[in-house]
Amino acid sequence: MRNEIRDAVVTEVESRILEACLRQAELPGGLPLDVLVNDTLYHEKKRLELHPQAPGRDDDLAFWGHVKSRLGNAGGPELRRLLQEIIDRFVREVLGNFSDAVYRLSTSVLPRTLPVLLNAMSPQRLLSKGMPDLSDTIRIEGDIEGLRRCERLGTVILTPTHVSNLDSVVIGWALYAMGLKPFTFGAGLNLFANPLLSFFMRNLGAYRVDRTKTAPLYKDVLKEYATVTLEMGQSQLFFPGGTRARSGFIEQHLKLGLLSSGIHAYINNLVRGRARPRVYVVPCTTSYEVVLEGETLIEDHLKLVGKSRYIITDDESFRPKQVMRFFRSVLAMDGRIVLRIADPLDVFGNRVDAEGESIDARGRRVDISRYVLDDTGRPAHVPQRDRVYVREVGAAVARAFREHNVVLATNLVAFTLFEHLKARHPTMDLYRLLRTGGDGTGVEMGVFAERVRAVAVAARELADAGELHVTDAVAEGNPARLVGSALRHYGSYHRNPVITRRGDRVFAGDMNLLYYYHNRLAGYGLEAAAVADSREVA
Amino acid sequence: MSESAPRTASVIGGGSWGTALAHILGTHGYETLLWMRDEDTVREVNEERTNRRYLGDAPIDPHVEATSDLARSATHAELILVVVPSKAFRQVANALGDHVVGDQILVSATKGLQEDGMKRMSQILREETCCRKVGALSGPNLAKEVLDGHPTSTVVASPFEEVIEKAERMLSGPRFRLYGNFDIVGVELAGALKNIYAIAGGVAAGLGFAANTQSALITRGLAEMCRFGKRFGADPATFQGLAGVGDMIATCTSTLSRNHTVGRLLAGGGKLEDIVESLGMVAEGVETTRVVHHYARRERIYMPIAEAVHRMLFEGATPESALTTLMERASRYEDLDSLIHTGPVAGDSVVESARLAALNRRLE
Repeated sequence: MRNEIRDAVVTEVESRILEACLRQAELPGGLPLDVLVNDTLYHEKKRLELHPQAPGRDDDLAFWGHVKSRLGNAGGPELRRLLQEIIDRFVREVLGNFSDAVYRLSTSVLPRTLPVLLNAMSPQRLLSKGMPDLSDTIRIEGDIEGLRRCERLGTVILTPTHVSNLDSVVIGWALYAMGLKPFTFGAGLNLFANPLLSFFMRNLGAYRVDRTKTAPLYKDVLKEYATVTLEMGQSQLFFPGGTRARSGFIEQHLKLGLLSSGIHAYINNLVRGRARPRVYVVPCTTSYEVVLEGETLIEDHLKLVGKSRYIITDDESFRPKQVMRFFRSVLAMDGRIVLRIADPLDVFGNRVDAEGESIDARGRRVDISRYVLDDTGRPAHVPQRDRVYVREVGAAVARAFREHNVVLATNLVAFTLFEHLKARHPTMDLYRLLRTGGDGTGVEMGVFAERVRAVAVAARELADAGELHVTDAVAEGNPARLVGSALRHYGSYHRNPVITRRGDRVFAGDMNLLYYYHNRLAGYGLEAAAVADSREVA
Repeated sequence: MSESAPRTASVIGGGSWGTALAHILGTHGYETLLWMRDEDTVREVNEERTNRRYLGDAPIDPHVEATSDLARSATHAELILVVVPSKAFRQVANALGDHVVGDQILVSATKGLQEDGMKRMSQILREETCCRKVGALSGPNLAKEVLDGHPTSTVVASPFEEVIEKAERMLSGPRFRLYGNFDIVGVELAGALKNIYAIAGGVAAGLGFAANTQSALITRGLAEMCRFGKRFGADPATFQGLAGVGDMIATCTSTLSRNHTVGRLLAGGGKLEDIVESLGMVAEGVETTRVVHHYARRERIYMPIAEAVHRMLFEGATPESALTTLMERASRYEDLDSLIHTGPVAGDSVVESARLAALNRRLE
């Protein structure tokens, strides 16, 4: 973000939030300013107590102590000043230390540093094959043209599935490769503490989201920040899954925060009569043959519900050696990371045509500005109505996630074996199955290959019907090749084998990982294909 | 829509309920266009102020103008009620889609489900038009009684508060009270499913059974509806409201209901084709039974009454045999969800399993 824009954003966000605070205080039932300040103070104090390791804690303690002492006998003007200072503090913290220089650098730094970084991790490859071309490793497919067009015609919210902390790096590189300007995005504060990722976070244009901050005022600042930057034409990256999908399932319960910013920005643009008022939502999926943090994520998911950690700061992505191992594996295997761009949507979830105009389900053009008119026929925010719109665009994004899920060999093979084991032990609940791995006798390779083939055929049929996507290898459906490829991928990265092959039988290794890779294909009705008839099960 | 908020409304579909709704809007002072295909009926409504085929001699309010011009009806008003039979619904909705714009409100008052994909009517409105603000109207509303001015209530459901408010403002009157509900899935499913039990109620009446039987049918029918609705995303509480049990009582006990009539004639030994033919209007319950039966099977939802109605309608079962099967079923519990375990629980307690085995040995 350029400096002049940065200043404009700060001013705009601050004035909007302050004005909203003052206006609501006038309403019957509104929060008086002293209560508002007190409430924010309470949330911050609690956070600082709960998180003794929080970065900048001493500074925060001093600030809030000062707020407390001033709050005691503050009159109207002083309250207003206090509020302004709090808002300013939140806004500046969200913006972080962006600078024009760093930002300009980022457009060129990333594409050059990423391959170098990868090379450093794989000296043998560098010697034998020279500089790697990332396009061998990261495959971008789908409606690339649509994304480019939307970025030209309006502002884009790119909404990817969230699998790994590497997602933002992969997408950052992909945006460059597609010739697009960098997108800004909100990244958890913990990522700025990650030795590898912090470098990219700073250079990709990330702003800071502190998920430990629970004060409603802070959340308002975040949302308004996103809204204002969208209005100023800055495209954004937003992971609607919230955090990385712990289970490996395709995310279906989405957090809608920034999607609501999309609608609000669009309405504000209409109200202000901006030339390019449109905001587009472009879902995309990232698919990895092996996932860097797979082991930690699934382990966290399987802990009793409610005990899982929202923020993980010690997973594989925080261990440089592990990251190195991952990249080595990915590069050595001509590994596949697939980024698939779905068809663009408007902020209401309608599809858009080749000219960026919204169309209904029957392909007729829609004047979407009419969706946001109030009773007087003028564009306006109507909170209840807009919440329904946000829910609807969220549902459209979730649908796109399912349809643009790319089936890789590692998912397909894990899915087949897991479903096979599950069917063979109908009385075992999930946890028992995961703990024991079934009776441990494995599956005869011929039988297994037949099931893999059947699932591949079924997946391909779904792909033909537009319900998901498959790689060429899966479409080809050669079971020996698929099993071989999956085993090689697992083995090149995971220390514990996911699946092992001994003699003419295959055995489940790490059941948690098997389950994790399996989950990506759950819910498509492929289970029947994975389960053989009773003769084969025995 | 605009600052002056014109007092206009449109109703698509000139059957009994569509005409009755147009009449209500007319009596509230709204210039209402009532769209229908049949030119003769258009003339009849406009010149004689009646729609005899559906509503006898009941007079229609002078603010209602019948028309066969769909484009005009679609652009005439902000609020459009769509009341065409479920079989024709998609086609009419698609035609509407050529004319409507995004700030218009479409409310379905059709109680049925589309066979293909079990789509609800409001879903079809969403799919065939650009309109987002859609809703559904459902409740104990026998058109003839409403037209005769009997007091009643109904539910308008939509995720949009604005739809509920506008429909409420326009349709509510001294004899017609509207309640809002955000659970549009539940309201639409309730409206469609109760027709199955209305047929069952008709059969029971035709066989000469009275209050006990009707009450059992309504109560157990409601349990089936709840199970089915829950599986497809409805809030079970909705079925306890006007659109659920309210509508059930009306249609299961009134001879005015077409679905009830189908059941009664069936009990008298009539053939389905002849009955439908003789009715001269659509009994939605027949199609709904087919659709619901299919999905209940597929999703393994326990619906013995719906199953029995399906057997009578489509599998040649006599009412007596369907009744016998219903009464002799194995299941003995009212609420299947809150059973206290009666059998051994696999892997739970070896001691319990051993106790059960010992008991079974003794009983043998």
